[in-house]
Amino acid sequence: MSGSPNALRRVLANPFAAIVIVALAWWIAVPLFKIEPRFLPPISVVFADGMSVWRDLAAGLWRTLLETVLGFLAGAILGIAFGVGFAYLRFLERAFFPIFVALQTVPVIAFGAIVVIWFGNTIMAKVVIALYLAFFPVAVNTLRGLETTDPQRIALMKSFGASGLQLFLKLALPTALPSIMIGLKLGISLSLAGAIVGEWFGDTVGLGVMLLQSLYFEQIPRVWVLIVACGALGTVLYGFLALIERRFVWWRPD
Amino acid sequence: MLDKRAEGASGPAHLQLVNVWKRFGEGERQTVAVRNVDLAIQPGEFVTLIGPSGCGKSTLFNMIAGLLPPDPDGSVVFKGQPQQDGALLGKIAFMPQRDLLFPWRTVLDNATLALEVEGMSKKAARQKAEALFPEFGLKGFEKHYPQQLSGGMRQRVALMRTFLFERDLILLDEPFGALDALTRSMMQRWLLDIWAKHKRTVLFITHDIDEAIFLGDKVVVMTARPGTIKCEETITLPRPRDASVVTTQEFMAIKRKLLAIVEEESMKTFAAAGAA
Repeated sequence: MSGSPNALRRVLANPFAAIVIVALAWWIAVPLFKIEPRFLPPISVVFADGMSVWRDLAAGLWRTLLETVLGFLAGAILGIAFGVGFAYLRFLERAFFPIFVALQTVPVIAFGAIVVIWFGNTIMAKVVIALYLAFFPVAVNTLRGLETTDPQRIALMKSFGASGLQLFLKLALPTALPSIMIGLKLGISLSLAGAIVGEWFGDTVGLGVMLLQSLYFEQIPRVWVLIVACGALGTVLYGFLALIERRFVWWRPD
Repeated sequence: MLDKRAEGASGPAHLQLVNVWKRFGEGERQTVAVRNVDLAIQPGEFVTLIGPSGCGKSTLFNMIAGLLPPDPDGSVVFKGQPQQDGALLGKIAFMPQRDLLFPWRTVLDNATLALEVEGMSKKAARQKAEALFPEFGLKGFEKHYPQQLSGGMRQRVALMRTFLFERDLILLDEPFGALDALTRSMMQRWLLDIWAKHKRTVLFITHDIDEAIFLGDKVVVMTARPGTIKCEETITLPRPRDASVVTTQEFMAIKRKLLAIVEEESMKTFAAAGAA
């Protein structure tokens, strides 16, 4: 291995390098420390197991992705709408905000049981759970972002004769967008968790279903395959939002 | 100078404050921010307003901008018409102390903000603004973002935004307060050039006596809180004024006189703070 420290740093800064390093560490550590397969199977075994079920895995990934994205989109739209409503209509905040806070303390497992009774073992049930988890961080961060709108900038816009709608579109919304993006990034990870947990209540396709099955049958390498698959899915979704943020919401409130 | 005042006496003032008061709070906890202010500004006049800090200058400013209603005792008369609550919004070009540029807009789009609010198309607004860039010393910076500019440049963008909001009366609240002395004196001379070219009426708040005398046709001095007009001093220094004017005998004499008044008021503020 050669190269200047700068080159090394550049290689390490690459997100794909981190994946390769973790895989290498896994590959070396298992035989080196004689780790029992029950705790951590060799990466080669996990990889082979993954390849053997790639059809189910692809179908599961697609299904879970669909549930997550649908739930996230619905949760994000509702969250932003309620956040805006809370910011502009104080009575709405006073009436609904405590209810939402209380709802947040209900474990998603308890809530999930009821959702399955309502919607049955349909994709709707998972979407609703994903929505439920994404909604709150988006709503709270939208509200918080809108509340940070600079009163002096509001005064300036008013002195130009700006209408309420112009104030919102040209000032309040851009001010809140960085904060809304934080909410969305929290929301997408929670949506994925919601979709997976939703699948535990009964279904035939999905990463959550496969995870539960492999736990029942103690297929340890399969569990690791699914951990990697869920992690990859979550990373891709988060990365997509991060890209959107870097491209369109790059400013920070001053 | 004489005929200017005669002119003012015949026509209506551009802006007139008649017995303007502003009180905050109720009963015993009431504080008076501004009391009994009478002030007239003639069309095309450059009026500077000085006073000790906390004397209610900004409160007065917000009332003139239409952001804060004056108490019912008095009224703000704009071009001969008394103005009801909020009626002044959109009639006066107002520039607060901070530049308040929007970080998500380019310099060009920050400059056109007021025009967009007025409903002008983005394209037309940009064309109009682009023509002003050389004059404001910002040519080549149209596509930059405010974060990339120095304090002096940001302030010029804010001034351009104010000028593009074409109103005859411009309110400037300590626009150069945060700048270093050198940039500041450059900006002052530059502002006078712009003013001479565009012929707007200007009311300029500052706490710097040199700045007030150098820029103004008239310096208005406010008292300590509760603020009212202590005196008005007409400045007859010839225009155009350059930097050397500040060392003339005439300038010194005015400065000495105003300094004594302002210091007396500042002492009152200190005494009041000590007693409280």
